[in-house]
Order: sequence, then C-alpha cells, then structure tokens
Amino acid sequence: MWDGVIIGGGLAGLVAGIRASERGLKMLLISEGTGSLTYSSGALDIGATARLAQLEKHPYALFQQKNIRAGLHYFQTLFPEYQMNEGESFLILTPLGSCRTTEIVPMGLKAEVLAQSREIVLLAPREMRDFFAAVVKANLEKEFPQSKVSVYPFRVSAFADWEQAGKAVNGMEYARFWRTEAGRKELKQLLDKLAKDISGKEAGRERSEVAVIFPGLTRIFSEDLQNLFAQFPYPVVEMTDMPPAFGGTILERALKTKFKAFGGEIILGSGVLKADVEGKICKQVHVQSKGRDSLFKAREFILATGGIFGGGIEVTPDGVREKVLGLPLFVPEGWTQAQFLGEQPYARLGVEVDQELRPLDLQEGDIGLENVRVVGRMLAHWDPWVEHCGGGVSIVSGYLAGESL
Amino acid sequence: MESEWERDQKLDACIKCSACTAQCPVAAVYPLFPGPKNLGPDLERLRLEGVWLDTSILDYCSNCKTCEVTCPSGVKITEMILGARRAAISHSFSRHTLRNSLLGRADYLGRMGTLWPSLTQRVLRRAPVRWLMEKSLGLSQFAPLPEYQIGFQKTLRMRQKNNINSASSDREKRVVYFPGCFVNYNEPQTGEAVVNVLEHNGFEVIVPDFHCCGVPLQANGNFGAAEENAQQNLALMAPYLKAGLPVITSCTSCGLALKEEYPRVNAAGAERIGLQTYDLFEFLWELHEQGKLRENFQEVPISLGYHAPCHLKAQGIGNPALRLSRLIPGVEVEDLDAGCCGLSGSFGFKEEKYLLAQKIGSPLFQAAKRGVAEGNFQKIITECGGCKVQIKQGTGIETEHPVWTLVKAYRLSSRFFCRNLLLKRE
Repeated sequence: MWDGVIIGGGLAGLVAGIRASERGLKMLLISEGTGSLTYSSGALDIGATARLAQLEKHPYALFQQKNIRAGLHYFQTLFPEYQMNEGESFLILTPLGSCRTTEIVPMGLKAEVLAQSREIVLLAPREMRDFFAAVVKANLEKEFPQSKVSVYPFRVSAFADWEQAGKAVNGMEYARFWRTEAGRKELKQLLDKLAKDISGKEAGRERSEVAVIFPGLTRIFSEDLQNLFAQFPYPVVEMTDMPPAFGGTILERALKTKFKAFGGEIILGSGVLKADVEGKICKQVHVQSKGRDSLFKAREFILATGGIFGGGIEVTPDGVREKVLGLPLFVPEGWTQAQFLGEQPYARLGVEVDQELRPLDLQEGDIGLENVRVVGRMLAHWDPWVEHCGGGVSIVSGYLAGESL
Repeated sequence: MESEWERDQKLDACIKCSACTAQCPVAAVYPLFPGPKNLGPDLERLRLEGVWLDTSILDYCSNCKTCEVTCPSGVKITEMILGARRAAISHSFSRHTLRNSLLGRADYLGRMGTLWPSLTQRVLRRAPVRWLMEKSLGLSQFAPLPEYQIGFQKTLRMRQKNNINSASSDREKRVVYFPGCFVNYNEPQTGEAVVNVLEHNGFEVIVPDFHCCGVPLQANGNFGAAEENAQQNLALMAPYLKAGLPVITSCTSCGLALKEEYPRVNAAGAERIGLQTYDLFEFLWELHEQGKLRENFQEVPISLGYHAPCHLKAQGIGNPALRLSRLIPGVEVEDLDAGCCGLSGSFGFKEEKYLLAQKIGSPLFQAAKRGVAEGNFQKIITECGGCKVQIKQGTGIETEHPVWTLVKAYRLSSRFFCRNLLLKRE
C-alpha cells in the first residue's frame, strides 16, 4: 500500500511527488512516457496571478495568493538556479530569435542585456539542424534596432563524422556535448578564439556594449560550464530550442532526480488503464505492465495526466473523456473560434475541483472522489496560451497536492 | 496477425515528436545511427510500400527498448525495428553470420563452456585467443566475457536426485523457476540463492530442463530458432501453467521475453505465460503486500548503488528490488539512474560495437565510480547478468544480483551446492 500514487510525470505531478516524498510519504509516480515537459524550453510562465485570481473559477482564484506565493517559493528553493522575482518578467529569445517575456527562467536564458547592446554576435553552429541563422538574425535586427548583428559561424570537430554521414545535429546534441569533458575542451578553444576575434572588432565600442548569443547551449546545473563562461569577457545569452528541447529535458531530469532522492519511485512507459473506485474512494489503479496488469493500491491519488495534448483527456467525434477515472469534465460551449491564435474555448476544458483540489461531481455539486486530487493541465477554467500561466498553475497545484496529502 | 487498421493505428500514433531519438542511447553515441523514430515508424511507411533502404543499420538497434518506454504515445518502436530486421535478414549475408549464430546460442555456448569450466576460463583469458576470436569471428577482444561455471540446471537435477530437498505437498506453495543462461552457465550460485530465498519462504521450486529463452537468438537475427526455443520451453511449462503455478525469473531479459514474446507463440500455455510470469522481486513484493513474505530480516549494514536494467524498465513494474531491499534494516540503496549499461546482451561483444557499448555505458560507469569515491556506497546491485558483467568491467566495482542482500538478511548459508555435490560424489 502506497501513501500516494501520482498518475502523470509532467511538471505538476513531479512537484507533487517531490513535496509529498520530502514530507516522508511513500510515493509512486506512473507515467506513460516522458512527460510533455521535454518539449518545453525550460522557462516557465506564471502570468499575472492577481489579475487571473479575479476570474471566477480560475485555478489561481481557488489557490489563494498566499498559497501561490508558497508554491512558487518552494520551486525556487528546490532550484535556486532558476530566477524569479515576484511581479517581475524576464526577456528571453525564442528559437527564431524573436523575444518574449516569462517569469521563471534558467539564468542563462535571460536576454535583457541585448537591449543595452550596440553589437550582437550570433554564434551559428554549422550543422545545427534546428537553428536558422538568417531568420534569427533578421528577427534580432527587428527586436534590437539599436544593435548591429553579426553572424559568427563555427564548426565542432566532434560532429565532423555526423556531418559527413549527412546526419544533422540538433540543439539537444550540442547542449549535451558541451557538458562532456571533450565538449568543454572544445568550448574553451572556441571561446578563446571568439574573445580574440570580437576584441579585434571592438573598435570604437565599449566592451559592455557587446553581447553574444549562443544557440544549443544550456549552462544550468553545470558548474563546470558556468565557471568556463565566468572567464569570458562578454555576456552570453542562451536561446530556447525546438522540441524535444534540452532546456525542458534537463528540468524534467532534475525534478525526477529530486523525487527519487526523497525515496520516490517512477514507473515510466506504462500508462494507467483504469482505476477501481468504491463509493467516493479510489482504491487502486491498473497499470499496463508486460504480460498482465499490475495493481497499485494507495491511500491517496493525484491525477496529473495533462490535458488534451498530454493525453489525459481523449477527444473523439463522440465527445470528451477523462481517461483514467472518467471524471466529469467541464466542457465550454462552442469549442473553437475562427482566429487561430486567439482565445480558444476548448483550452478551458478540464476537471472542476474544490479548494483541496478534489474533483467535483458536476451534477451534485459536491465532492466526487475524496482521496483524489487533480493538478496541472487537467484543471478546468484556464488557458495557458492566452493567460501565460502554465508553469505557475502546474507548480502551485502540484505543491498544494503534495502538501495536503 | 494484426489487422491493417491496428497497424495504421500504431503508425499514426507516432506524432513525430522525436522524444525517442532524443533518449536513444545508440543514437547519442553513433552518428550513423539515424535513431528509433527514423528506423521505426518513419521507414515503416516506406517498408509497407515495399521500399527497403540500407538494412544493415538495423543491426545497430541494441534492443534496449528505451524508445518504447520513452514514447508518450505508446508506439511499439523496437517491435517495428525487430520486425524489419526479421524481414530483411533472409536476403543478407555478412562475415558476421557465423558469429551471430554463435552469440545467439547462449545455451550451446554455455553447455560447451561448462564441460570443463576451468579450461574454458584459462583458454578464453589468453590475449592471442581473444585476438584470434576477433579476427575470425568478430568478437571484440576487449569485451567482458563472463566466466563459465558448472551448469545450474545440471547440478539442480543432481540435487533433486540426491533428494536433499524434500518435496512439499502443498500445491499452493509451488513455483517454477526459469533460471536463464546466465544463471545456468555463468553464475549458478545466484540460482541457488534464488532457490534458497524461495524455499525459505516455504515454496517448493521446480526447475524443468529449460532451453535458452530466445532473446539472444532474436537479437542476433535467428528469429525462427527463438520461436522454437519458446515452443520447447512452453511445452515444459504447460502442465505447471495449467495448474496455475507462477513462473519466476531472476533475469530481466528472460522475464521480458516470457511476458512479452511468449504470449504470441503458437503453443499451449502461451495464453497463460504472460499472466503467470513474475520477476523474482515482483513476486516477493506481492508476497510482502499480502503479508505472506517472511520478514525476519537480520540487519545488513551496507550501502548499495542500484542499476535498473533496461529490460526491467520495459516490463512496467517499477523497481521492486529497490523497494524490497529498503525494507531490510541497515540497507541503504541509491538509485544510480544513469541509463543503459551499453552491453545489451551480446551487442557489446561485437568488434564493431564494442566501443559504442563502452560509450553508452560511460555515464553509468562515471556515476558508479563517483558514488564509490564519495563513499555513498561500496557495491552495486542489478538484476541483469549482462549489466553486471559490463559494470564490473567498466568500473571494477563489485556488482551482484539483489537476491544476495536477501540471502544475507535471512542469514541463509550460501554454500554452493554444486561443489558440495561433487565432493559427495567423489
């Protein structure tokens, strides 16, 4: 018998697992595959919590400000290398070189320094498949018209045989390579040469007016890389990369490592088929193991299976279904709107919960299941794309679930 | 046979997110390997149209199944790649054909190696022999060959003949043990430990004269023989399966084959084998949950690093050995969580893959060495014999099956019965 079983291995499920196991509970996390966190950039949106909390039924309204603050503070304590300041937004670069703002950032992604620059040097790894130097340069010139953007192509000798084989290297490969011993050696040489080349061109500019952009690099959780760049004379801004992205992958890895370090166990690759419910209590879940189903009993359950994209909600021509427990879903009227990037009502589809995150029975109006908590994207009444609050809702709901188990 | 609709469902489930290729241990170290997404669902569409690109690269899939575990959409990627190899193999020949048929025959090699184990050991340890084997067979001279010891099943039969173990009549408390080639020919002590732990819990352990499970055959392209082995093993198990006895494995690859491959074989018992097969620790954990496990554990003051074999991860049962070890007072276990060891059965024995296998295993080796250097643990436990041999070679750190921790906790005598038997006979 487990204290808690978490279904789903994304941000919300992992934060819930970390908090609960840190409190000494025996936790099992079951995930169908790697979560959609590995598609993400590693930067997390919180959104305007106070304003969103005004919206009726929005998760932020349920959580209350003091809990939101506590949840975010918890994440910051877990990972001090992610920067966040209450009420503050940071500038980061998209994989195409345009800008956006967000609230929780791995240090290296912060791009404010570009706004003060007069000269931007854009590193361009020659074989990098998911990096388009010309597009990025054009976007940077639009975003930072005060600055001159120059492209600095380079080759990595370790990838020579990849190039020869005609196999493109993506940002993930670069980010991993720089973290190896051979990678750091090659990086050191590259940085030395780069510093020399830039200082030769510095003519008439202050050193502080030059900034470097480095795609395919992630310095977070690597002291070696951070030390290496500390000796480099110019500020270096990392870029977010295309999915599957290293920024999200390394965050996922860090979360899993923390969870396991507190004694949590993870089953990856086998989804939960169904759950056995008696009255208002969930008794156990069936996991699709090889050969036969495995049963896992627990005192409490956390549903963190994600929304439509994460696979927690199935949409068919006949309707929508929450796949594990068959929980009643809030379904907005009129699913879509013509404006593709505008507000889409289906985004608010999800499970309605009480303040303890327990699913409500939409017909009866009271709690449907007493020992189940719903977290993350599965919650109803929010839209991560319009409200830019995906990371915040996931972290806070996960924290609250882990805290209240 | 799956329907066209089922096949299309499987193919369409792939949303091309590349999560599998990002996690593939071979793609990470071998530039020529295009990765599971490409070799699996991408090329499958071409293959269905009769278009076959260079098939030799398919052999570089190590069959670790990390892609299947990773896939968020449940696509059977390794299965597609193995299916393509099966279809491609009929019209290919290489100088490795002999080697592959040898490596596939883990049980024949085992039987030969155990005729005179000390001689085999002495011969195989010689550098010129290994050099010759590389040149003639393509077996890497650096690869970690396991040691051969008198066969487990053979000695067990002798033990049963000598009637050392009185048979229990309680039908409820009988289990079938599938030891696998590693226990049979390389590490019979571990087989004995498994039997001792099960007997300590009151079970009568039945070990028919099993053949190799078939995984090495399949991995080396001999799909027909793999199926024959499965049929023979199923025939040996059939009466026990029918009687509802659990089949227990202590090797995670045998276990995965019994759970995943055997149910598809056309033979009596195939419909039960998946339902009745248990990894040893999965079985013991279930006993624990039912309150039926003997938990008179004595203290075992030891810190261990745990490596989860790929084929355990693929079973989708979690880490029962980790859970159970942590129930023993004094035992501390750290999950190394550092990916595949690289050996993948016979993959790392091959001359052209030896270095790749070392590269794949290198994060694990580093994590293990760091753990020992920092004093976090002294020893490593892992269920898979292949992983054990590879970790031992890559790190020099003592590595053993987690059943040994239980043997210590139960204070079971670990005398190796085969030696006792031989002494008795003399």
